[in-house]
Amino acid sequence: MTQLPLTVIGGYLGAGKTTLINRILAEKHGLRILVLVNDFGAINIDANLLISADEDTIELANGCVCCTMGADLFLAVGDALDRSPRPDHLIIEASGIADPARIANVANAEPDLAYAGIVTVVDGRQFDTLRSDPLIAPQIHGQIACADTIVLGKSPLTPDLKDSLSAINPKATLTTPGQFDIIPTLLPHGDFDESDAALHPAYRKWSYVGPKSFDKSHLMTLLLGRPKALYRVKGQVRGTAGPGFLVQAAGPDVMISDIEQPEQSALVGIGLAATLTLADCDEWWAARPGSSRL
Amino acid sequence: MGETVLFQAKTVLTMNRNQPRATHVAVRDGRVLAVGGADCVDPWGGADRVTDLPDTVLMPGFVEGHAHMMAGAMWDYAYCGFHDRIDPQGHLHKGMTEIGQVIDRLKAFQADLPPDAPLIGWGFDPIFLTSERLSRHHLDQVSSTRPIAIVYSNFHILCANSAALALAGYGHDTNVEGVIKGDDGSLNGELQEMAAMFPVMRRTGIDFRALTQTDAAIRAYGEVCKRAGVTTVTDLFATLSNDDVARLAAAIGHADFPARLVPALGAMGATPAEIASNALALRQASTDKLRLGAVKLMTDGSIQGWTARVRAPGYVGGQPNGLWNTPPELIFQLCEEIQRNGLQMHIHVNGDEAAAVTLDALEAAARKHPWSGARHVLQHCQMMDAALFRRAAELGVACNIFANHIWYFGDQHAALTLGPDRARAMDAVRDSLDAGVITAIHSDAPVTPMGPLFTAWCAVNRQTMSGQILGPAQCISVEEALQAITLGAAQTLKMDDEIGSIQAGKRADFVMLGADPLSVEATALKDILVLGTVLGGTVHRL
Repeated sequence: MTQLPLTVIGGYLGAGKTTLINRILAEKHGLRILVLVNDFGAINIDANLLISADEDTIELANGCVCCTMGADLFLAVGDALDRSPRPDHLIIEASGIADPARIANVANAEPDLAYAGIVTVVDGRQFDTLRSDPLIAPQIHGQIACADTIVLGKSPLTPDLKDSLSAINPKATLTTPGQFDIIPTLLPHGDFDESDAALHPAYRKWSYVGPKSFDKSHLMTLLLGRPKALYRVKGQVRGTAGPGFLVQAAGPDVMISDIEQPEQSALVGIGLAATLTLADCDEWWAARPGSSRL
Repeated sequence: MGETVLFQAKTVLTMNRNQPRATHVAVRDGRVLAVGGADCVDPWGGADRVTDLPDTVLMPGFVEGHAHMMAGAMWDYAYCGFHDRIDPQGHLHKGMTEIGQVIDRLKAFQADLPPDAPLIGWGFDPIFLTSERLSRHHLDQVSSTRPIAIVYSNFHILCANSAALALAGYGHDTNVEGVIKGDDGSLNGELQEMAAMFPVMRRTGIDFRALTQTDAAIRAYGEVCKRAGVTTVTDLFATLSNDDVARLAAAIGHADFPARLVPALGAMGATPAEIASNALALRQASTDKLRLGAVKLMTDGSIQGWTARVRAPGYVGGQPNGLWNTPPELIFQLCEEIQRNGLQMHIHVNGDEAAAVTLDALEAAARKHPWSGARHVLQHCQMMDAALFRRAAELGVACNIFANHIWYFGDQHAALTLGPDRARAMDAVRDSLDAGVITAIHSDAPVTPMGPLFTAWCAVNRQTMSGQILGPAQCISVEEALQAITLGAAQTLKMDDEIGSIQAGKRADFVMLGADPLSVEATALKDILVLGTVLGGTVHRL
C-alpha cells in the first residue's frame, strides 16, 4: 500500500490554524485528505459540501474527512492508517502548545507514513508578546524552529517580523495566508524523482532529459513562467557558458545555483493529476527562450 | 420498604463525631437506618436479618479521589515493576529489583500465551534499576521470534525485542529521533516518546482503549477497588462518548459491581464551550452508582519526568522547565467557561508553577462568575507550599494530594528532581489541613497501586523506600489520614452528604477491615487487611 503523507499544522492558540484547515478542506485539489483537529469549534464547512457530520467526524463531498482526535492523537493516527480506502493525505492540527516536530516524527518512524512537512502559523500581532512570555516562550520558539513553512497572519509581514522569524528559523519558507498555497505542501516531499512506481495516482510527473542549455537569467524567466500546476521542479541544467545550474523551484520560489557543468540537462517536475497536464508542460518547455536563439 | 439488615461487627469506626464508635449498623434500602448497639434497630421495628462480622472492623468505604480505569486491565499485560503489587484477583506479584528477574517473569508469562501472540509488559521503571539499562538483548532471551514490548511506567518509553523492532521496520539504518542506538550504532531496543513507539505499539496491538473501554476493563477495575476497600472511585480523564456511557452504566449498574464510579470528562478534543455542554448533558445521565458531570483538566507533566512546570529555582539538575499540556491561556478559558456553566473541575497540577497559574485562573473565573460552592479540586498538588494552600482555602478550592509519592519517589525527588530541602516540603498534607483546605490523598492508580490505607500510611509516616522520614513536619495524625481517605475525598467529589461516614441516612457503603486503624501502631496502618466491602448494604467479600 502507498505511504500516507503526513503534514502537521502547528501554531499557538488563535494563530489561524483553523482558517487554514477550512481552506484545505474546501479547496479543489482532487485529494481525499483526512484532517485530524483538536475540536470542531471553528471548522466551518459550506453546507453544500457536507455529506455527513456526527460527534467526531465530518465527511465532505470532495472526499475529504475531518475528525476530532480525541484524547489520544496516536490512536487517531492508527485509525487513519486503518481507514479503507486509505486517505491520500493526512493533516494533523497540533494543539496550541504542542511541539509539531514531536508529532511529525511519527512520519519518520512509521513505515506506512511519509513526512510531508510542518506548517507553523504565527499571529503577527501576538508574536512579540508570546515570545517574551516566560510561561510559553520556549514552546512558541520551538514551533517556529521546526517549521518547513511559516505562515504569518493577522498583521503585515514587516521587516522586523521577518528578521525575528528568520533568526529563529532561517530555512523555512516564509509566507502569508493570502500567498500561502497548500498544494505544494500536499505534494510528496523528498525524492519524488526516484521512481514512477512510488508516485501516488493523485500526482502527475513531468520530466526532461536532453542536451538543452541555458543562461541563468533565461532559465529563471522560464521557470517563473512555468505552468502554475507544475508546483515543483528540480534537477540539473547545462549552462551555455561555463558552469551548469542546480534548479529547485517550489511554487513562487525558484532557486538556481552554480554547479559543475553536467553532461546533460535533467529536470523533473510534479503537480496534482487533477490540474497538471503533460501537454501544457511540453508546450511550455518547447516554447522556451532556449539556447538556439543565443 | 425493603428488609432491614443489622450488621454486627467487632467495632464500627463511623467517622461521625457525634457517635465515633459503635458495634451495630442497621441498613434498609441501601442506606444506613441506625448506628449504635444491638438495640439501635429496635425503634425501627427490629432486624429482618443479621449479618454477623465478629472479627471485622467496619469503616466507611474508602473513597479514591484520583485513579484511572486502566488500573484493572493493565494486568492483561505482564507486570515488570520494581515494587510488589497485587493483581485484581489477589495474587501477589513480587517487585523485580534486577533485570534478570524481569526476564524470568516474562518467560513465565509467555508460557500461558498463544504461540504467535505478542508479549506486552508494563510498570517497568528505569529510575529504580540504575545498574544496567534494559535492552532488546535482554528481551531476546525471552524470545527471538515472539514480538515483545515493555511499556515503562511513565508511558513515554518502551523497550522492544528484535522481533518487535523488525515488525516496525526498525533496523541498523534507521535514523529516527527516539529510536535509541548503542555506541556501536545497533538498535538498543529502547523507543522514546510516542512517535517512535507508535510503529511497535500498532503492530503488537497495544491499544489503551482496550484498557478502559471494555466490559472486562470495567469489571477488573471493580475488583481492584474491592481489594483496596474502596467503595467510591474516580476515573479522572475519561472519554465519555454515548457508547462509553451506555457501557459504563450497564457494567456498573450490575449488582455485583462493588463500587460507585465518578468519571471526570477529559477536557480535550473540543472547545471549552463544547466540553461544558457535553459535561452538562452527561450530568443528566448520572445514577446512584455512576456520577457524571465533572471535568478533568490537564496542565503540566510529572516531576519525576522533569515535565512538571516548576517555579524558580527549577530542577536541581538544571533541567529545563517542564511542558504545559494545556497552555495557560487555555487554562484560563476552560476555567471560566466551565465555572460559568456550574460544573466542577478536577485540575492536574504537579509543579508549583502549574498550581499558581491554575489558582490565578480559578480566581479570575470566580470574579467573573461567582459561585461559592464550586469546590473545584487541585489534583496532585505535589509542590504546593503553605502560601498556595492558603490561596486555595481562600478560593474554596479543595486539594487532593499525591501522598504515595513520598514512599515511591521521595528518594528520587531528593536526589534527582528537586533536592532534599524541597523534597521534604512535597505533598504537604499538614500545610493543607492547617490552611483549612478540604483535603484528600490519593494513589493515582495505576501510577502507584490503589490502597487508601497505604496512602494514609504515607501521609502519616512520610517514610521513603530507603527508610528516611522525608519532611516530618508535614506528617499528619492517623485520625486526619482516615478522614482524608473517607470524608475528605468524599468532599472533593461533592458526595459527602451521602458517603464518607457511617451515619443514619447515608449510603450503606463500608469497608471490612481485619484490624482497627486507631488501635494499631501508626507504622502498621498499611498492613491492615481488607476483607471486603459493603456497597449499598450488599456484601462483597474478597
